[in-house]
Amino acid sequence: MARMKFLCDAERCIECNGCVTACKQEHEVPWGVNRRRVVTLNDGVAGAEKSLSVACMHCSDAPCMSVCPVDCFYTTTEGVVLHDKDQCIGCGYCFYACPFGAPQFPQDGAFGMRGKMDKCTFCAGGPEADNSPEEFRKYGRNRLAEGKLPACAEMCATKALLGGDADEVANIFRDRVMNRDGKGASVFGWATAYGKQDKAAPAAQSAPKPGAKP
Amino acid sequence: MMRSHPTQWLLSVFVTVLLCCGVSHAQSDGARQQIQRQQTQPGNNAPVWREVRGGDNPYQTTQVRGPESAVLIQSGGETWRQTRRVFTYYGGWVLTIVPLLIALFYWRKGAIRLKGKPTGRSVQRFSSWQRMVHWTVAITFCLLALSGLIMLFGKYIMMPVFGRTLFSWIAVLCKNLHNFVGPVFAFALMLMILTFIRDNLPKAHDIKWLAKLGGMLSGEHVPSGRFNAGEKVWFWIGVLLLGVVVSITGFILDFPNFAQVRATMQLASVVHAVAAMAFIALFLGHVYMGTIGTEGAYRAMRTGAVDETWAKEHHEYWFDEVSRAQPAPARGAQGDFGAAAIKQG
Repeated sequence: MARMKFLCDAERCIECNGCVTACKQEHEVPWGVNRRRVVTLNDGVAGAEKSLSVACMHCSDAPCMSVCPVDCFYTTTEGVVLHDKDQCIGCGYCFYACPFGAPQFPQDGAFGMRGKMDKCTFCAGGPEADNSPEEFRKYGRNRLAEGKLPACAEMCATKALLGGDADEVANIFRDRVMNRDGKGASVFGWATAYGKQDKAAPAAQSAPKPGAKP
Repeated sequence: MMRSHPTQWLLSVFVTVLLCCGVSHAQSDGARQQIQRQQTQPGNNAPVWREVRGGDNPYQTTQVRGPESAVLIQSGGETWRQTRRVFTYYGGWVLTIVPLLIALFYWRKGAIRLKGKPTGRSVQRFSSWQRMVHWTVAITFCLLALSGLIMLFGKYIMMPVFGRTLFSWIAVLCKNLHNFVGPVFAFALMLMILTFIRDNLPKAHDIKWLAKLGGMLSGEHVPSGRFNAGEKVWFWIGVLLLGVVVSITGFILDFPNFAQVRATMQLASVVHAVAAMAFIALFLGHVYMGTIGTEGAYRAMRTGAVDETWAKEHHEYWFDEVSRAQPAPARGAQGDFGAAAIKQG
């Protein structure tokens, strides 16, 4: 069985927020809730700026699932972490525990009281019947049931954001890394990991002795 | 044609220098290291990824508005989760053992009975205001303790029995009850602290009382004021310290719309739960002593009146004070009213 994963390639992400828009559009996400966001590190610092799109990472051992006081989370056979909004009590514990800030709460009650938690579903809906109006209302579209991949990854203009079977995603990314900048193995070889020892010597060469003269 | 005035030129130099300083200072170590790293090891982004867990870097940005939306990864959640497991485990044991110890004590030692014969004359111990404020705190405390315990332990104890759907209904009820009763408790608690603080100020004779544990084990008579040292410990550590701690942390958790960050709420959650469980453990002792543990104590909470014998045996200094201020015959009517009330009840 496939195991679904997201991967965002920081060398390709151009911070266009297309994924964020695609997600909001596809699922009609309530105001104030962002299932996906793009974070830019070292924004404006030449040579150090990297952007990443982040949402629920559908962890194998999800912290949200472990802290939920009503046990409303479940993992699908495809490795997607979903939750049951009918059971959710809006305590916010998943939001405290999640490393990625994925769980979001619509503040629809008095004094900023938390409503039912909302998060990225990997476009896989919820426990309701696939593509039923109830499922759409609570969780948005179930693209996986339609044989499609998540809208954010499909929409990504630079294909920085990949979503799908972990093996496929890993293969695509590996190919990219090996071919990036036309340097082949040099990108992921000795020089990348430990620094350039010798400009003349090919980087993929067997490891030079430590302290050897260049 | 450029006509540059010397002051303009100076100003632009000054601004440029300022901006450069600003940028070089604001640039994080990670960014600087990353730029250097690209010279020696192109394609190695390790310095950037080390910064991923920070959010205070002003150059880490996002278009999404909201507290901490620019934080890519927060590490505090895992610490919070592990801490929560520890206090859930030990807290659960404490709250299991304390009632057992109380039951054991009751079984071996029994209730503290009146030694002398009741005189039939009552002394007013608590005014109606004092009883009302105490009952408000008591009822809200019970609701909060029960709903809090269900939210913390219900997953392990109740869910296997009731099933997910029914338990989630109970938990939603508990969460909303907890959120709305909490502020009422905090307010009533403040009033109760103000009401009782004067009579809970420590006195010299409290040390003797504590040293002998109020004669609870020996059965010896140890005089005390309006409140004995045990009650004072409960007041200062339980009501005041733990009460204020759970109230403040409770407000932090109850009103998440003041842009407080997750680290604050995680800390508040841990402190709230630990303090609340300690509070409940002490509360169980307080309830025991105020009901089945001491003959005649509950009457004071219910009607505000106690028998003279009870007053003499439990709070001798207080009784002396009361009798000096108001000799027995003058108290008659008031005392009878208290006695009548308990008969009706």
